[in-house]
Amino acid sequence: MPKEYKTPQLDELEKGPWPSFVKEIKLAAKNNEMANDVLGQLEQSYDERLGHWKHGGIVGVMGYGGGVIGRYSDLPDKYPAVSHFHTLRVNHPSGWFYTSDALRKVCDIWEKHGSGLTNMHGSTGDIVLLGTRTEKLEPVFQELAEAGFDLGGSGSDVRTPSCCVGKARCEWACYDTMKACYDITMRYQDELHRPAFPYKWKFKFAGCPNDCVASIARADCSLIGTWRDDLRIDQDEVAAYADGGLDIFNDVVLQCPAKCMRYDAEKKTLEVDNESCRRCMHCINVMPKALRPGTDTGAVFLLGSKAPILEGALLSSVMVPFVNLDDEEEFEDFCDLVDEMIDVWCEEGKARERVGEFIQRVGMGNFLEAIGLEPMPEMVAYPRDNPYIFYEMEEEEELEEA
Amino acid sequence: MAETKPRITDIGPPDYRQFLPPVIEKNYGQWKYHEILEPGVMVHVAERGDKVYTVRVASPRLLSLDTIRFYADVADRYCGGHLRFTSRHNVEFMTTDADNVPEIRKEVEERGHLVGGIGNSITSMVHTQGWVHCHSAATDASGIVKAVMDDLAEHFTAMDLPAKCRIALACCLNMCGAVHCSDIAILGIHRKPPRIEHDKLDKICEIPLVSSSCPTAAIRPTTVNGTKSVDVIEEDCMFCANCFTVCPALPIADAEADGVSIWVGGKVSNARTQPRFSKLAIPYITNNPPRWPEVTSAVKNIVDVWRQDARKFERIGDWIERIGWPRFFKKTGIEFGKEHIDDYTHAGLSFQRTAQITHVDWD
Amino acid sequence: MAITIDRIADEMFEMVKEAQEVGKKLKPMDLQKTIKNKYDDVDKPMTKKAIKQLVDSGRLVYSYFGGTFLELPHREGAAND
Repeated sequence: MPKEYKTPQLDELEKGPWPSFVKEIKLAAKNNEMANDVLGQLEQSYDERLGHWKHGGIVGVMGYGGGVIGRYSDLPDKYPAVSHFHTLRVNHPSGWFYTSDALRKVCDIWEKHGSGLTNMHGSTGDIVLLGTRTEKLEPVFQELAEAGFDLGGSGSDVRTPSCCVGKARCEWACYDTMKACYDITMRYQDELHRPAFPYKWKFKFAGCPNDCVASIARADCSLIGTWRDDLRIDQDEVAAYADGGLDIFNDVVLQCPAKCMRYDAEKKTLEVDNESCRRCMHCINVMPKALRPGTDTGAVFLLGSKAPILEGALLSSVMVPFVNLDDEEEFEDFCDLVDEMIDVWCEEGKARERVGEFIQRVGMGNFLEAIGLEPMPEMVAYPRDNPYIFYEMEEEEELEEA
Repeated sequence: MAETKPRITDIGPPDYRQFLPPVIEKNYGQWKYHEILEPGVMVHVAERGDKVYTVRVASPRLLSLDTIRFYADVADRYCGGHLRFTSRHNVEFMTTDADNVPEIRKEVEERGHLVGGIGNSITSMVHTQGWVHCHSAATDASGIVKAVMDDLAEHFTAMDLPAKCRIALACCLNMCGAVHCSDIAILGIHRKPPRIEHDKLDKICEIPLVSSSCPTAAIRPTTVNGTKSVDVIEEDCMFCANCFTVCPALPIADAEADGVSIWVGGKVSNARTQPRFSKLAIPYITNNPPRWPEVTSAVKNIVDVWRQDARKFERIGDWIERIGWPRFFKKTGIEFGKEHIDDYTHAGLSFQRTAQITHVDWD
Repeated sequence: MAITIDRIADEMFEMVKEAQEVGKKLKPMDLQKTIKNKYDDVDKPMTKKAIKQLVDSGRLVYSYFGGTFLELPHREGAAND
């Protein structure tokens, strides 16, 4: 019989309309000692306002440097079932689609070997299997493999790439995000499982500028869908929206950041100056039946976003204004460019330096030169406003002499 | 000796194509438009006229196997055995039969899982592990999220807001949840320098690595009672905990000092306005488990003031941009102090460098 | 004679061992750079193969402390029995 913990603090979190994680832990604790000891230790954390986990740095499955997060309770005598509580990150399928059978297989494996607690999903996108013992890691890993699943990334490696639902169920997807995500994940299996970078590297694929996977803020390598040709307009549907009571002038035209739309209220037609359109998505979001992205579609490739640790937070910035990732050749070129970037960063980057920070340190101009990318005005919000330009006169002179 | 099976490695994730519902496989890349039919329910219509109805359901993210199996059962009953999750931990049940929608709603609601989170609403919070699993947490994650969302659930199940509102929580500055571009971000913070475990440090950590991990160069090698260790210039410590990440002998968590900060006005979408970082609203609120009432009321206050004051389509950051930060602090009643003024790299860029001022009566 | 993956792996192993003896941890990139600088005919894929061989055989293991390192297998500081 597992110990029965009194959990007056956690019980408070079973109340209220939002689904309760405490109920979930209690469900798991009914027939799992680890989940039960999590409950006990968490109640103590609530009493003391302190966590009770230690980081295990060396735990993993043989041959992989990623996919397992080592954890030990710092109160192993009191909560012996969580004396080891390692987590596995399992690489989710693109777009987080599952069959009930696939989910049940994962459940059965985790019921047998782990705490029975999961996250669907972790922040990066992986299925997170919370808590098992060191000797269980290999069996879980191999049984998952037999069910068709592999571990995700952790440490200084390619982290599990993720993407929005894309063309599977969204009319705004400007490229096949799920395919790009899957292809990249397969291509970088070695870099995902065998960390060899200065620090983590994340890919996120968003199908349109609404960026439902927060690619621009959370991925080193952000691919955000866009289009180059004209916005598609169905004027009959524009009229239908007007008839339906939508205030097109105020809600659409006035909200346009590029001020590139005109509405004729009498004819109930909308006109767009496509050259000025910034592809922000607002008008499309408001009138999805009348407006759609164009048909010459692809992605903006941006680089370098990260959370604050260590030199401050960054958003990704434009590297390539347009790349058609659905085109096989362009996809290959994109991968080559990424390899080039990773090589330069690996050669010169410092430990725990994300690529965005690396670029801040060495200078974007130097980085572009090193990866062989021509500077373009699309890369900057505005040109520099300080006069401290680095010139390498010696090099120029040498060139002239030659 | 028993024959050992060869290990399977580097197979990658399962191919997503085997998991797609037939209607999605058939209309892949051929969707024409979608409509939100009611809170939490939308229909996507394909070029050829096929329809798929989606019911979006809140989940607690931390799930037992019972609940995952429950989702699988619902998928079997109404969705041909298919389902998906969203980037913000919701579950989506997709069906081609509109009659299934109320049935799905009934089943999930009976289990206490709300339907909503589409359109101008507050969807599920992205968050980290907190005391459930993390070694470096400055606060719990799931508990605050539960308490905050209990207070805001009415905006998950209705679309009664000026625009979307994305709330996220990270339990320390490492920001596994990368919350720094959220309409409202709750961020766990430490406020005391690390304690130095001199007896252990040299054994488990590499001293040059530890000192170079400090962004303000506050950690220096030293010798204590004949043992190599480090000392910390405490007035230079900004509590980032990067040293603890590199060296477990520098614990920084402190029950009295740790707590959360609240940040506002960030976004990742490019719609109307550009993506931007969240900015500091409240520098510190003490940890007050189990329900963090000071945090929940602070978040609800910001949401309520925004909801009543913002124009249509204005995300929290857009609204603040229009009314100006002085009026944001005035209207929300949040106190402004020294902590709000940046003093890290490029701090000057955040100073008000114009005479365009919205005058606020502070008396 | 061209240098073999086995020999690269052996050299890498010695580097990690020596570093560990003086309390220093090496990153995979440290090993790759040193070997590449030492031998003209060694490229990045070869160094990667050598590391794979070392971790697949269990001679070295990965560890994570804010970044990924390669170490000789040992009982870790935080472990509980």
